[in-house]
Amino acid sequence: MSTLALSELLGTTVYDSTGAASGRVREVALSPQEDRSKIAVLIVKTSSGNRFLPLSAVSAIDEGVRSSTAAGDWLQANGGEGLLLLSRDLLDQQVIDVHGRKVVRVNDVDFYRDTVLGRPTLKVEGVDVGARGAVRRLLKGVVPAPALRVLLQRLPQREIPWDFVDLIETDPARRVKLKISHERLAKLHPADIADIVEDLAPDEREAVFETLDEGVAADAMEELEPKVQKAVVESLDSDRAADIVEEMEPDAAADLLADLTEEHTAEILVQMQPEERQEVADLLEFKENTAAGRMTTEYIALPVASATNDAVEALRGFEGRMETMSTIFLIDSHGTLAGAVPLAKIVLALAATPLLALTQEPLISCHEDAHEKEFAELFDKYNLLTLPVIDEHNRLMGVITPDDVINMLRAKL
Amino acid sequence: MKFLRRWKIQILLIFAVVGPGFITANVDNDANGILQYSQAGAQFGYMLLWTMIPTTIALIVVQEMCARMGAVTGKGLSDLIREEYGLRITFFMMIGILLTNFGNVVGEFVGIVGSMGLFGVSKYISVPICAVIVWLIAVKGQYKSVEKVFLLASFFYVTYIFAGALARPAWIAAMKATIKPPHMEAFGQSAYLYTVIGVVGTTIAPWMQFYLQSSIVEKGVTRRQYAASRLDVIVGCIFTDVVAWFIIVACAATLYLHGIRDIRDAADAAQALGPLAGQWASLLFALGLFNASLFAASILPLSTAYTVCEGLGFESGVERKFSEAPVFYWLYTALIVAGGAVVLIPGLPLIKIALLSQVVNGAVLPFVLIFMLLLINKKELMGEFVNKLTFNIIAWATTVIMIVLTALYVYGLVHGGAG
Repeated sequence: MSTLALSELLGTTVYDSTGAASGRVREVALSPQEDRSKIAVLIVKTSSGNRFLPLSAVSAIDEGVRSSTAAGDWLQANGGEGLLLLSRDLLDQQVIDVHGRKVVRVNDVDFYRDTVLGRPTLKVEGVDVGARGAVRRLLKGVVPAPALRVLLQRLPQREIPWDFVDLIETDPARRVKLKISHERLAKLHPADIADIVEDLAPDEREAVFETLDEGVAADAMEELEPKVQKAVVESLDSDRAADIVEEMEPDAAADLLADLTEEHTAEILVQMQPEERQEVADLLEFKENTAAGRMTTEYIALPVASATNDAVEALRGFEGRMETMSTIFLIDSHGTLAGAVPLAKIVLALAATPLLALTQEPLISCHEDAHEKEFAELFDKYNLLTLPVIDEHNRLMGVITPDDVINMLRAKL
Repeated sequence: MKFLRRWKIQILLIFAVVGPGFITANVDNDANGILQYSQAGAQFGYMLLWTMIPTTIALIVVQEMCARMGAVTGKGLSDLIREEYGLRITFFMMIGILLTNFGNVVGEFVGIVGSMGLFGVSKYISVPICAVIVWLIAVKGQYKSVEKVFLLASFFYVTYIFAGALARPAWIAAMKATIKPPHMEAFGQSAYLYTVIGVVGTTIAPWMQFYLQSSIVEKGVTRRQYAASRLDVIVGCIFTDVVAWFIIVACAATLYLHGIRDIRDAADAAQALGPLAGQWASLLFALGLFNASLFAASILPLSTAYTVCEGLGFESGVERKFSEAPVFYWLYTALIVAGGAVVLIPGLPLIKIALLSQVVNGAVLPFVLIFMLLLINKKELMGEFVNKLTFNIIAWATTVIMIVLTALYVYGLVHGGAG
């Protein structure tokens, strides 16, 4: 077993079964529907046009490629749908290095060369993004091959294993045919996905957001810079945008929609589920730099008479963000805020302790019209984890969490 | 009221995208450009003013295409060349860009030395201080604040307009000369022809296309805001050439009139203005030169580092840490340090470096322009934003003329020319 680089294979002379030099390797292709890493076919440039040469008809790859079939039997290479063309689709293009969590440019593609039942097979081992691939391509044909090989051995290799490579394809139809999904990208932290997406061109961002699962897309969307966020949402069709916005935290969704034109906001809102639409629409009414504009409406509020076991029950059933789970609020029958219980106290208390006995004193809250500077000061002064927002009748309207404050402060830096 | 509000929104929209086009066009009036215009005015009076209009058009045509490509594809020019034409071509182009830009950086430091020298500042003080300032601006600043500094520097070019006005030119004659080229006999003079080529041939430099397109991308301009970006480019190009016009006029109304024809560097022109147009004109001219040199010295190394790293696939960007983008930062630092050092170390062949830089400039430019035209006509890249037929004709004609003039300019330089 040995390795071979794509750039070494391209341009190699192809000999057919009669031993005649019939053409040169033009392209090397995978058929992702069948196998994600095994080379399926070579495209050979012959005097009568481009021809497909399946790798199964190749008997040896040494100084040239030797075929066990006659050149006349090679099929015309047209269409090629469902083929990933390594030279066109990979060389010099940008791919996502899922392991290194960044966007990289491909200098070369490395193959494992093996022999199975006397026939050569090629498997993509990874993409070369370092100096070795670059130098190989620059000096190919300029420096004699043996000398080049010695030189390349001395250069450090920077290769990304094929399993960690995520391709970006902007054509949706081709994406399906080539089975390009972003499964591996989706497993990264939303903040890392956002960083990667910010490094891409607009069409590529759109492609990623069309492919990602809605929940992941929503989490990543929240982490994008507002400017990029806006551009991505504008590029998606309103149906898809609504699916993603629906999954976002209501406060983040409202901030995003507030930046769009009124028509576009309306288009997206119409496509959303009634319940989420209502929440976001309510938040949109508030000014962005007030407590109401920054708060989230997903929090845990229990009747005043509840005990710790009720709280645990409510926590288990809660679907909102982790940050808002750090405090359980107590409200009376009018919705008036009566107390706030930190999660830590519930964990430490005995089972069935009344929550009213565990509340934090004093009860800090702020009015929904409070300016952002005001609530940021409260967070600083009392070292808060959450801050309840109330209306003029002391009714609980929403909760501000530290990430909202940090976002706001960072935007001002 | 409604009308007023619409206007307000329009103006805000323009301010949101103004910047890259305006900045790039202005850097074109760097130390080398100012020297070129000063010589043109000193040697031939108003006879070269007619070149300003065609030059402006050529500049707009070329810059507009870059801005459009940046807005539509969201990728830099070196990215696109790499993706469409492969590593080898990109590599050689990047080497060319590196060489020619290095020569330009040296030119900017010469401008700094000259202008600060007029204020009695030794080059051993001005060069290191300016090099440190330049380095810090990009490394410690953020894109937004850096852009503001650059925009401010661009507006500072108005000093030339004041200097020009102080020189009391014959306005009517200057206006006439702007619209009407001189008689054909003038073109028979090789020195005149050569200056025309110099003025037009240095208008479009390869680095500008890369810088503009990357800035548009970095600013996040999209197809939707493209119209405002185009305005940014057009306004920038016009302002730039208005400044150039005033430089020529200032020198024509004074130096040419009093027979001072021999301008070796731009600081010479500033000094010679003193007794003829007053200390203020001289001071403004010198300050303008300093501003232009420092400004270009800040942008050129940065732009070079971006372009080369993007094209060759190294991590780049001032928002990254030194350890994340080492090649980018080393390249950037090396360009500034070496550029400054060349000026300070006695006995280094400054003129040869400038010459080499112009030659490489001329050699790289045709490739850049042709690649640009090929790229912008690719439907799969640009969609509906490909060049229209009429625009294509203008663009190709501009390209061919620019290539021919640049080739002539370089030929003249290499063969000792009439400079």
